[in-house]
Amino acid sequence: MDNQPSADAARRPPPRPDGPPQAAGGGVLVCLNSSSAAAQLVRTASRLAEAGRTEWFAVYVETPGDHASFADQEQIAKTLRLAAQLGGQAVMLSGFNLRDALLDFAREQGAATIVLAQPRQPRWRRLFSVSLADQLRRGAGHLDLYLISDAEAAARPRRAPRRSVWILLRDYGLAATGVGVCTGLAFVLFPYLALTNLVMIYLLTVVIIASRLDQGPSISASLLGVAIFAFLFVPDYYSFSLANTEYAITLAVMLIVSILISNLASRIHYQARAASQQERQTAALYAMSRNLTTKLSLPELLPEAVEQISRTFDSQVSILMPDGAGNLHLSAGKHFPDDYGSEMLVANWVYRYGHFAGLGTKTLPKARGFYLPLRASQKMIGVLRLEPARPNQMIELKSLRFLEALGSQVALAIEREHLSQQAHQAQVQIEAERLRNALLSSVSHDLRTPLTVIAGSASSLLEGETTLDSLTKAELTQTIYEEANRLDRLVHNLLEMSRLQSGQTKLNFEWHVLEEVVGCALAQLEPQLQHHPVVIQLPADLPMVRIDALLMERVFINLLENAIKYTPEQTTVTISGWLSHQELLLEVADRGPGLIPGDEELVFEKFYQASEGSARGVGLGLTICRSIIEAHGGHIWAANRPGGGATFRFTLPLEAGAPLLDKTLPELQKSHPDEAAHSVN
Amino acid sequence: MKPRILLIEDDPRIRRFLRASLPTQGYELLEAGTGSEGLSLAASQVPDIILLDLGLPDMEGIEVIRRLREWSAIPIIILSARGQERDKVVNLDAGADDYLTKPFGVGELLARIRVALRRTGPGEEGKTADLFTLEKLRVDFDRRQVFREEEEIHLTPIEYKLLSVLIKHQGKVVTHRQLLKEVWGPSSVEQHPYLRIFILNLRRKLEDDPTRPHYLITEPGVGYRLRGE
Repeated sequence: MDNQPSADAARRPPPRPDGPPQAAGGGVLVCLNSSSAAAQLVRTASRLAEAGRTEWFAVYVETPGDHASFADQEQIAKTLRLAAQLGGQAVMLSGFNLRDALLDFAREQGAATIVLAQPRQPRWRRLFSVSLADQLRRGAGHLDLYLISDAEAAARPRRAPRRSVWILLRDYGLAATGVGVCTGLAFVLFPYLALTNLVMIYLLTVVIIASRLDQGPSISASLLGVAIFAFLFVPDYYSFSLANTEYAITLAVMLIVSILISNLASRIHYQARAASQQERQTAALYAMSRNLTTKLSLPELLPEAVEQISRTFDSQVSILMPDGAGNLHLSAGKHFPDDYGSEMLVANWVYRYGHFAGLGTKTLPKARGFYLPLRASQKMIGVLRLEPARPNQMIELKSLRFLEALGSQVALAIEREHLSQQAHQAQVQIEAERLRNALLSSVSHDLRTPLTVIAGSASSLLEGETTLDSLTKAELTQTIYEEANRLDRLVHNLLEMSRLQSGQTKLNFEWHVLEEVVGCALAQLEPQLQHHPVVIQLPADLPMVRIDALLMERVFINLLENAIKYTPEQTTVTISGWLSHQELLLEVADRGPGLIPGDEELVFEKFYQASEGSARGVGLGLTICRSIIEAHGGHIWAANRPGGGATFRFTLPLEAGAPLLDKTLPELQKSHPDEAAHSVN
Repeated sequence: MKPRILLIEDDPRIRRFLRASLPTQGYELLEAGTGSEGLSLAASQVPDIILLDLGLPDMEGIEVIRRLREWSAIPIIILSARGQERDKVVNLDAGADDYLTKPFGVGELLARIRVALRRTGPGEEGKTADLFTLEKLRVDFDRRQVFREEEEIHLTPIEYKLLSVLIKHQGKVVTHRQLLKEVWGPSSVEQHPYLRIFILNLRRKLEDDPTRPHYLITEPGVGYRLRGE
């Protein structure tokens, strides 16, 4: 097979690499057909476009007379995909006429060169048929044509239409019936109307038929109509002979007008159908992309895609995606238990080779489902399986392209989801790494300080067994004790932090009285609070809250410790709470130096320290507070107080069903009503 | 005779620290490094009190408690790390008497030991006190009257019962479950929120500052404790 551009095939010389390429300044357009030479066409176009540094389009034009077999459709789809891979834009057009559609498209896109296959035909056939190249040359003065000889196209004449014989019979029958009815009407009206008006009835019939049926039936109707009219209504009646030569003109005009009308009407009819189909597909694609972009997670996204495609194609749809080991599993959609093994073989083949297969294709056509690879920008994402509701329903080329478009939407949506997950994981990892480093340096510093003090004090005690006076000994011992407690709190915060971060903490929500929680926190900090008066302003009728009391206690402990750490002795710390809308607002406020303006949010960051080395403790306390409050559905923030000092406020949502704190609350149902009356003794 | 303490703890450093402090306070110390060793020592030496670590290598603390409770009422104080509140509750409900959270001071430990010993001490069992006093608080059981300093405080029957139960276990932790069971009966043991409300009311009547309770101490996540003497 000679597919190389050859001197006799190319009517114009191909662009020379040394000279300015002829495609310069305009794009390259390659017109595809279903022959296997199409790949060659595409490659040539790609090279031309590359030489001219322009964009290029691979165009397939579907025309009304074009009834490509499924094998042809596969070939075309493959070629279009090849074009896309080579960097061209794959375009499918619907047009009434191949030449017009191509020229229109070339004009719209500003293409300067058209590449197409020139079928090799015997010389005698060239005399009778007008090749596409000739048609184009006539209509495209400014376009360069680049022809490639195609031996195969001649060997494979266009196949007979694949449309069902029954549908054809029906259409022709309908056309004949239409003409029959019209003739009956004309027969009835014959005595009353002039001949020219009878012509009008026939023309009207042709218009009606042409607007409903294809070109073939409507042209037949025109011919039949003219013949019957000539036979019945033109003198001599019941004969084809004409009484007057003028009638010949009438008949000729009638014939020409009816054929023109049927041509025009079918064209409009076809275009309207194509347009409405296009519109449906565009709408479906738009709906799909809109729905998929609003879904954020795979478990939402996949069923949505399955649902949409099922509806559009009236089929059972499943999406198969690989696991970590590359084995496909059903991720969404219907199970297909029948022949699961052999169906999965097809799916795996499709996944591996990235080419569709299964029902109605050349590859593994015995399968019950049609399998489409889901390919995203980087790699294969999975396989889409489609089993038509009606068995043996083929997928047409137009639907195939449409299905591919939908499939790539799905693939891209899945990929987007994968990428965002990866990005998130990477972010988490970086964050964890950063945290680990910061934690290590901070912890080692914070652990070393109290350890140094403890070790130093203990060794002084050991060394000075006999020399130290009892007061100094007591002081050193006290120091050891305090530092050990500090270490304990530090370790506790670290543990709590890691537990909260890893999500291992299961919150133990129960109804609690805040007063009690605050009391526990204060009791734990008693030694440290010696020099800081604490004022508590909690209304007696504050409702109970559903909280994890131990964690909430930690919040108060950390806030109070923070206050103690950063405020001078004898300044008051105030704990208050009040109801605000649907929330409980709590506050720990101090009269210290306050926060550095602008740091109000930063204080909740891990390892934040008000100033370098100003205080001890890993800056974790407030971060833990935030984690805990957020786990409770509240939020926490910091601010400077009017009149000096810092305030930390947080909210807790009020939940329905709180046990009442009312004094008039009926006493709990007693199991032993008389027991309470007895003394315990 | 010195009270005898059995320490069941696998960590030699903690054993050393207690060995250094308990004998000087007038106690005789027995040591066991594993649960089974502890159980056999408890059977052969019959200690007055057992300190039980919850992280033993050979068996769960709760298992030790169950086996001990099959034949003995020796007071058991459990030693556990912080953050193990659920374990504490489970062990207390299984029969342990009290708990200490590591790290603990010797002062705290001695106080717990004294409370536990007093409960089993000679003459305490079955003794009916007519009058209970704790600092400013005074309860006259005969007349069912409660006083703070000289002022009489009116308690509802439930509040009175609650206070009585806490007085019975003075100095010792009482879990929510135990309190609910003793005051309201076995069908109410899950009603923690109501217990909290009654404790709150009791505090408002008895405490100088209910937000910083002095008598009715909360053991977070575990229960309540009435201050010991």
